[in-house]
Amino acid sequence: MAKNINWFRLNRNLHRDIGYFCVGLTLIFAISGIALNHVNDWDPNYQVTQTEHAISNIAKKINQDNFEPWLLKELSLSGTVKARFWQTPTTYKLFTKNNQTLIINVAKNTVVLQQISPRFLLKNFNFLHLNDARSAWTYYSDFYAALLIYLALSALFMVKGKKGIKSSRGLLVVAGFLIPAAFVFIYAY
Amino acid sequence: MSGLKIIIVMILSSIFSLTNTAHAEQNYGKGADMKHLAEISAILASPTKFMDTDVTVKGAIVKVCKKRGCWMELASDKKFQTLRIKVRDGDMVFPMTSLGKTAYATGKLQALPLDLAQSKKYLAYTAQEQQEEFDVNSVTEAITVYQISPTGVTIND
Repeated sequence: MAKNINWFRLNRNLHRDIGYFCVGLTLIFAISGIALNHVNDWDPNYQVTQTEHAISNIAKKINQDNFEPWLLKELSLSGTVKARFWQTPTTYKLFTKNNQTLIINVAKNTVVLQQISPRFLLKNFNFLHLNDARSAWTYYSDFYAALLIYLALSALFMVKGKKGIKSSRGLLVVAGFLIPAAFVFIYAY
Repeated sequence: MSGLKIIIVMILSSIFSLTNTAHAEQNYGKGADMKHLAEISAILASPTKFMDTDVTVKGAIVKVCKKRGCWMELASDKKFQTLRIKVRDGDMVFPMTSLGKTAYATGKLQALPLDLAQSKKYLAYTAQEQQEEFDVNSVTEAITVYQISPTGVTIND
């Protein structure tokens, strides 16, 4: 005799297990989403620290043969210079192998030292969120999106009775649609 | 913490901490075609000559888009001159850690003529993005921005 399927229980069990599976990527996308949302206020991928140093008579020193090693020593930097570039008649840039940029202003006798460091974890989260990986990641993230759709829809049938979707709590679902619709109405037209 | 948990934590940590694995050469798109190499100064001196053909330029990377890595500027063989390499957001992502490395970019040259107001706005925006000082009154003439829309880029250490 065929056993009756308890759809309510099956839905709850699937919702629970798929929910557990989605925890990792949900956190990754949520954290990265906040970081990328504020891209106009900060750099979500790199931390750039900047310090300014005064160096007297740098216009004369810049023409000397040992200028680069001398300047690195003066600023207590290790490594070597991999590229150099006159950006303007008064601005000379040096790039070191340690992700440092030295912006030398010969008019002001200053050197601005920029150190670029990738943000730990967050850069990789953003890499996934923006689908810079491409290839198979595109399909995996589509699969994840399908799971999220399932989680959203199955959530509607998790609870029966007074606190179910047909109760006043159903208004929360309506609010979930109305709030983004209001933003579109206000800002898009 | 059980052995299994320790292993999971170690695997996840190692996956997500893989940043900037050193590569001697990085290719974007199809990679650069070294056959059509031209000097940036020659291109900027007579841009019309290079408009309709694929061209490859070489130069040290001196600026990179901070927001999306969607453009970079290559230093010319002449002082004070650069050429912008611009892609649609996400087509290629040039990392900020590539500053100072040598890049080869193959693609078509594009000319973007700007009026004076647009020139001021464009130069002010690029200076602001790079956190550089900029006096908007120093711009007295309209500029034409030349850029390469690349099909392939190769970056060497």
